[in-house]
Amino acid sequence: MLWVDKYRPKTLDQVMVHEDIAQNLKKLVTEQDCPHLLFYGPSGSGKKTLIMALLRQIFGSSAEKVKVENRTWKIYAGSRTIELELTTLSSTNHIELSPSDVGFQDRYVVQEIIKDMAKSRPIDIKGRKGYKVLVLNEVDKLSREAQYSLRRTMEKYSASCRLILCCNSSSKVTEAIRSRCLNVRINSPSEEQIVKVLEFIGKKEGLQLPPGFAARIAEKSNRSLRRAILSFETCRVQQYPFTSNQAIPPMDWEEYVSEIASDIMREQSPKKLFQIRGKLYELLINCIPPEIILKRLLYELLKKLDEELKHEVSHWAAYYEHRMRLGQKAIFHLEAFVAKFMSIYKAFLIETFG
Amino acid sequence: MQRDIRKWLMKAHDKGNGNAAKPAQPAPTNTEKKPPLAESKPEPMQGDQENSGRRKTSKYFAKDKQKPKDEKEMEEVPTKRNTQKDASVKPPPSKKIHKVDDSEDDDDFVLLHKNKSVDITPSKKLKTGSGRGVSQQPVGNAASDEDDVKDAESPLKPSGRGCGGRGGSSTSASRRGGSTTLAGGRGRGSGRGGFMNFGERKDPPRKGEKEVPEGAPDCLAGLTFVISGTLDSLEREEAEDLIKRHGGRVTGSVSKKTNYLLCDEDIEGRKSSKAKELGTPFLTEDGLFDMIRSSNAKALARGDSMDPVRKVASMPKKSPHKAEDKLMSNSLKTNVNKKGSTTGGSPLKQKDQTMKHSSLPWAEKYRPKAPNDIIGNQSLVNQLHSWLKNWNEQFLDTGNKGKSKKQNDSSAKKAVLLSGTPGIGKTTSAKLVSQMLGFQAIEVNASDNRGKADAKISKGIGGSNANCIKELVSNEALAVNMDRSKHPKTVLIMDEVDGMSAGDRGGVADLIASIKISRIPIICICNDRYSQKLKSLVNYCLLLSFRKPTKQQMAKRLMQVANAEGLQVNEIALEEIAERVNGDMRMALNQLQYMSLSMSVIKYDDVRQRLLSSAKDEDISPFTAVDKLFGFNGGKLRMDERIDLSMSDPDLVPLITQENYINYRPSSIGKDESGMKRMSMLARAAESIANGDIVNVQIRRYRQWQLSQTGSLASCIIPAALLHGQRETLEPGERNFNRFGGWLGKNSTMGKNLRLLEDLHVHLLASREFSSRRETLRLEYLTVLLKQLTDPLRLLPKDEAVEKVVEFMNVYSISQEDTDTIVELSKFQGRKNPMDGIPSAVKASLTRAYKEGNKSRMVRAADLVSLPGMKKAPKKRIAAILEPTEDGLAEKNGDAVVESEGENSSDTDDLEATADGKNLQSELNSLNSKAIQVEMELKGTEDSNTKRTARGRGRGKAGSSTVEKKTAAKGKGEKAVSGSKRKR
Repeated sequence: MLWVDKYRPKTLDQVMVHEDIAQNLKKLVTEQDCPHLLFYGPSGSGKKTLIMALLRQIFGSSAEKVKVENRTWKIYAGSRTIELELTTLSSTNHIELSPSDVGFQDRYVVQEIIKDMAKSRPIDIKGRKGYKVLVLNEVDKLSREAQYSLRRTMEKYSASCRLILCCNSSSKVTEAIRSRCLNVRINSPSEEQIVKVLEFIGKKEGLQLPPGFAARIAEKSNRSLRRAILSFETCRVQQYPFTSNQAIPPMDWEEYVSEIASDIMREQSPKKLFQIRGKLYELLINCIPPEIILKRLLYELLKKLDEELKHEVSHWAAYYEHRMRLGQKAIFHLEAFVAKFMSIYKAFLIETFG
Repeated sequence: MQRDIRKWLMKAHDKGNGNAAKPAQPAPTNTEKKPPLAESKPEPMQGDQENSGRRKTSKYFAKDKQKPKDEKEMEEVPTKRNTQKDASVKPPPSKKIHKVDDSEDDDDFVLLHKNKSVDITPSKKLKTGSGRGVSQQPVGNAASDEDDVKDAESPLKPSGRGCGGRGGSSTSASRRGGSTTLAGGRGRGSGRGGFMNFGERKDPPRKGEKEVPEGAPDCLAGLTFVISGTLDSLEREEAEDLIKRHGGRVTGSVSKKTNYLLCDEDIEGRKSSKAKELGTPFLTEDGLFDMIRSSNAKALARGDSMDPVRKVASMPKKSPHKAEDKLMSNSLKTNVNKKGSTTGGSPLKQKDQTMKHSSLPWAEKYRPKAPNDIIGNQSLVNQLHSWLKNWNEQFLDTGNKGKSKKQNDSSAKKAVLLSGTPGIGKTTSAKLVSQMLGFQAIEVNASDNRGKADAKISKGIGGSNANCIKELVSNEALAVNMDRSKHPKTVLIMDEVDGMSAGDRGGVADLIASIKISRIPIICICNDRYSQKLKSLVNYCLLLSFRKPTKQQMAKRLMQVANAEGLQVNEIALEEIAERVNGDMRMALNQLQYMSLSMSVIKYDDVRQRLLSSAKDEDISPFTAVDKLFGFNGGKLRMDERIDLSMSDPDLVPLITQENYINYRPSSIGKDESGMKRMSMLARAAESIANGDIVNVQIRRYRQWQLSQTGSLASCIIPAALLHGQRETLEPGERNFNRFGGWLGKNSTMGKNLRLLEDLHVHLLASREFSSRRETLRLEYLTVLLKQLTDPLRLLPKDEAVEKVVEFMNVYSISQEDTDTIVELSKFQGRKNPMDGIPSAVKASLTRAYKEGNKSRMVRAADLVSLPGMKKAPKKRIAAILEPTEDGLAEKNGDAVVESEGENSSDTDDLEATADGKNLQSELNSLNSKAIQVEMELKGTEDSNTKRTARGRGRGKAGSSTVEKKTAAKGKGEKAVSGSKRKR
């Protein structure tokens, strides 16, 4: 088993990085009532771990006995029937799903499926009327319509159902929903905390950690604990015993994106643009989300750019990212960004070097 | 001549007008014959006579101008002569016999007149044409128009006349020959199917360098050309245009009627070899130009000295079909006495015409009046005829039902369904055939309400049309015993059955019911036989699919009409009309009528100009559209043209644009050494394309279709406007043609990979060791997973590695397909395959080990459960597939169920103890249906469990765990089940 799963804290007490939040949550649910919760924070900071630990705290070990279902819902929307396929992860007392998986039809998920689930009410062993928990992932990716539909559901069925929302950025969640939830911000763990966790794992696994090695991993991980542990394990697979200057392998797609970035910097021509389109397609085909590609590409480009261009390039990246979300065919927007960058950079080169 | 045809086509209208008009006619001999107008339908006899009338005129004109394709006429000639003789002999008796018939009167009159005026001077026969013109002058607007044109533009005249003559003659041929000649015509038409060759052709080497001559408008009249290979300076279309403009014909393949094979290089193709075989002369482009130029000179030289009519005569000299000419002139002579038909008749007719001109659209006016008039589809009309004729014997003779069964299939159906595109004569055929067989046709079309008949008849049948039909259809039963010969037979024509829509609820079903019980024949007519609505109807009908008439057939008919209306039209022009309207006779007539309002002489160019825009809409492929938008001349296109182009396929054109815009070197930027300007153009184009995508989302997702022009503007027109120019290749070995849009393919691959990733994700989730999202799985886990799965195989000794990997796979419920997915998703173009360097022996042993492990594997995800006898794991939940009977449940479930039952029962105890037990019970009852489902689900899994054990797969704790899982599955529903179970 991967370390990242093996050493995942199962209860709120075991949590190593956000102890204070964990304790607060524990207090919150031991008082038998739990409001709607909105967890937000960067990826790899431990939102999901906290949610699972919280569920375990509420429902006991039954929360871990989950079942995966790939279900198809038929929804009658006016004149036509829409079929939605959705993966749910459910235990007796909670259901977890990602409505944004169905794309722009997420509205129907919220309106029909979630409402349906929220209506029925579990009864716990002691006969008390309990509540069930709906965990919704990626709320920030919900369309606006879906979010509007959600807020009514949140109020109407609050007696029988609690929502735990989980997202990366709270800014994309509407005001109305945020105000109906207890917002819990989960920060990225600091590098020291990451080092601490890595050392803990190293000790458990009986590994010799050269000094500074854990720190280097932590630094490379961009303060994502998951990332850090995964690279730690990759290093372990690659080479053991560790050496302090051991290379920390990047993710495959990151490598590819940086390749694209250096391509762009090397030559700005229609031919290159055409080749880069092929590479972008390659990334998309390998299921890398386009937003991530754009972000990473900007990151790689900024590393190589001169100061005075950084501002402009960042502006355009943001511009095209926004448009990409409005649009549908991501490649068009990625390509437009690359073309824009090439044109800016070429102009800059000609201006400075003639 | 005009008169004859018009009379033929419009007898019904003549009835009214004829009375008024004819007394005013100047010919004194005939007045007493005019009034009696008891005519009903054209009798065969009468048809013959009319033909003879027309024939003689046709002969006259056929001499004026001989088309090389007049093979048909040649065949016709002997018969014609015979009939002509008959006709010329007959007139006096027929006059007496058929006095009632108006049309015949005309014929007779013509004959008499002729005898008096023209027969005396047979040698002057050519003059009669001009003489006629003069005589027409005082008559009416149309006539004087005609004359004006003649006088002013002498070279034109031959064309009009010549074509008219020709058209007339061929018409008479088709009239007479009925189905046989028509068949001939059709055959020829189909031979010309590949009219234009759209294959790849080189550009002409000296494109646009030569001056294209202007010649006399009809200098090529009567000549047939075939173009082969690449010409020196003209595009093939241009050459075709040139020839047509000068009155020549262009056909697709060489036959013995071909006069010239136009080619500049002998490319040894099929055409040239055929031409050599037939001895067809070759003509170069220059030769063609010379021909046209010389004609011009000739026309000028002759201009003053020559009587226009003489010129008419001189034109056909060019034609190689001298023999034909001779035949024609022979027949002309024999018939000379008839020639005056036009002279005498035209004043009268012209008057009629001016009166009728405004009253009716030509499509109505020239509707065929006899089945033989229908253009094309004669065999279908005959089939319809025989079906209708035999209908009564077939379906009403109750006595010998057995016999009717033995009949062939076509007549066994009680109804008939005519289908075909609009304007090709379906309704007309139906009406004519029924009329001819003496049926009274009752037509019901989309303008009538055709809903389901009311079962309750209490309101009476008066209001509802549908009920009327029902009555009509079934009440015939009463009449069965009557004397059928006296009783008027009826036929029901259901027009536009595919137009039955919301308003006509149950219309088709009702129609079928009507067909079943009908005592009268029913003819249904539709445009689209494959329409969803008619799916059930076609089973009850004899299907007759009307085809489009060929353009030659249509041109013939149009020529008759044009002549009848006093319109001078070139035959080539008519063929052009026929081609442009795509087989729609009605539209062709409408176009012709419209054009007749502004001009009385219609030339090829007029037609071309008029119909240019409508023709463009037709099949333009998205590739062509992109080519045009981005081509050199892309900048010169008008905005509406650009929109038309990009709208030719609003889905594909943007995709092809996006795929190819990088390849164009914009011609608008001029000198651009650094490529800077081009790069910024590209950036702007790319942004515009991205805009187009955003607009597209608005259109599709939010149905803002009013934005579609904006969309095509952003996604095609702006990029094209920025970048149009020369296309260049970016990669070596690439062909310099626009590629198909790559997005579709890539998108579907992406979709497939996403599904695979989702499968993997589900399996990982099912292992309960993993709780991240799919995205995280791809972005962060995948690299590590791949390493864990492949690195040991590469580094460690075989057995150890295999063991390790299989263990890892088991922990995460990764199947072998998932391994493939992981490898697949980690592949990048230009990187090495992650599976490289793993010896195949190791791979094989891994597979073996994994299969071995199957026996003891704990499976949580539904689709990973493999069922015996089922190759592929079911995609849906197994519960749905197994559907076991309830009986076996208890025994099979074993301990696991007992355990769960126990658990459940405690639940229910608690449950019943609750205060609102009553409520809950009812709730439980209502949940019963659900409960059964859950049981099945439980059972499904258990079933598979037991089978598994039976096959020796020790599932260990699998049983209980599955049950736990399933218990968890339904949440509340599950508990409700147990509750309800106990109730039962």
